[in-house]
Amino acid sequence: MSLFSFLGTLEIGFIFGLVAIGVYLTFRVLDFPDLTVDGSFTMGAAIAAALIVSGINPYVATICATIGGAAAGLVTAWLNLRFNILHLLASILTMTALYTINLRIMGKPNLALIMEPTVLSPFESFGIPNMYLKLAFVAFVVVLIGLALAYFLNTQYGMGMRATGANPRMAQANGIVIKEKIYAGLALSNGLVALAGALFAQTNGFADSTMGIGTIVVGLAAVIVGESLFGSRSMLVIVFSCIIGSLLYRLAVSAALNADFLGFTTSDLNLITAVLVGLALIIPHLRRERKARKAAAGGAS
Amino acid sequence: MISCKDIKVTFNAGLATEKRALRGVDLEIPQGEFVTVIGSNGAGKSTLLNTIAGDIRASSGKLMFDAWDVTGVSAAGRTRDVARVFQDPLAGTCGNMTVEENMALAYGRGRRGGLKPALNDDLRDLFCEQLKRLNLGLENRLGAEMGLLSGGQRQSVSLLMSALQPSKILLLDEHTAALDPKTAALVMEITDQIVEEKQLTVMMVTHSMRQALDHGTRTIMMHEGKVMFDLAGKERSQYDVKDLLNLFAKARGDGEELDDDKLLLGA
Repeated sequence: MSLFSFLGTLEIGFIFGLVAIGVYLTFRVLDFPDLTVDGSFTMGAAIAAALIVSGINPYVATICATIGGAAAGLVTAWLNLRFNILHLLASILTMTALYTINLRIMGKPNLALIMEPTVLSPFESFGIPNMYLKLAFVAFVVVLIGLALAYFLNTQYGMGMRATGANPRMAQANGIVIKEKIYAGLALSNGLVALAGALFAQTNGFADSTMGIGTIVVGLAAVIVGESLFGSRSMLVIVFSCIIGSLLYRLAVSAALNADFLGFTTSDLNLITAVLVGLALIIPHLRRERKARKAAAGGAS
Repeated sequence: MISCKDIKVTFNAGLATEKRALRGVDLEIPQGEFVTVIGSNGAGKSTLLNTIAGDIRASSGKLMFDAWDVTGVSAAGRTRDVARVFQDPLAGTCGNMTVEENMALAYGRGRRGGLKPALNDDLRDLFCEQLKRLNLGLENRLGAEMGLLSGGQRQSVSLLMSALQPSKILLLDEHTAALDPKTAALVMEITDQIVEEKQLTVMMVTHSMRQALDHGTRTIMMHEGKVMFDLAGKERSQYDVKDLLNLFAKARGDGEELDDDKLLLGA
């Protein structure tokens, strides 16, 4: 693996760390499996690219992209809470609708941002080589957001959100309006994912209508890898284990693709992802089974 | 404090499975009264409790907390005045959050959840002090996951949590039913302490006639969605479990054998 591709891998790892945090918020904190992220990732990229191409300041464009993603999350929450549509199905509906909406936003299947200004432009005059600059910028943003989110989950509001997912009846009995927490959580999650999309488009120089496919699996993979490495209850550790999980996942995929003797090509990515996520789910299960067998055998003797 | 006026609750109205759980309950509970509620399965005890808590909306009738009409107020909205403890020890706490986080949640009951950290050292001291009352050694386990505690410990903590914020009404839904006798006695002792200390208006649903007579100041029996009888004061103090059983059989008017094992066992 060359230095260039190593730095690129870390950069994408950090960006998908945001996706992982978003997925953690819905799947784990709220216990609301949300597949909207496949659409909101692309939406973030599409809104940012379309606005930048039409001459809007990249920072404003990135904020608009985040708001767009949050709105998509609200739609999913609304379908589920107002009309009782199963959460998975509600999110698939939003995701499907977003595919068309994203094409409309961009006006064509992909937009190039090669010569356009991006969020990185103000820092380019510092004379740092682009590949370091991109990584440093992305890492800074993601770590900052991670810190903010860990703080948030320990506030009264954030703790209410965690209780909503863990035990809605108890939450309600303690005066927590659970619907409000679900709306807020889905908006926050999809906002973060859209921000990831917007950053991805700007650091990689394009937005494409199909770029979001599989976002949910990658996000989930990162959450699971992180969880299986750190078994802490501290919010700070959990949030950062999502980010580290994302980095490790990217490195593992990249290593698999770069190992010539394995003969993988980029088109094998989805299979590799599925196998890695599968392993991350299967190994802890097998370990538990073995432990239980050992405990049973120990008790019998 | 609590005033029920002709409260009716019907589940699955208009369907073949229609169930009229409450058929017009009129009940006035003054401030500071501790009402115990008994009745066989399906009598409407829990439905009444859940209607007062707001989990179930009354199909008709009116529910007031003093001058506050809460008929249309959500369960979360009512928590300004109401605290509760559930029957299931797992229901009242979040198993995957720590003891101190659970207590912090309860501490925030009835307040707007702000963006300040939910926990700080002052609160930890307060929680520690409260947990010491239980004599279960939990004051040293503030950071432990709630799921690691036993059912009795969790229920005891739930009870403390219900009293962390000033409230006027405490609803107890068979909160000792899932506990072993020794722990149940401990939990009842703490219940009485808290009620005394905070001058709460209490409604406690129970399956045990003994418990219903030994605790509180008033006992009502529910049957088929109505209040069948209402005992208080001197009359109540002369009653024994046997009298209660007789009264129960008589009121049903058919001399029918009690078919509810729990009711008898609890006695």
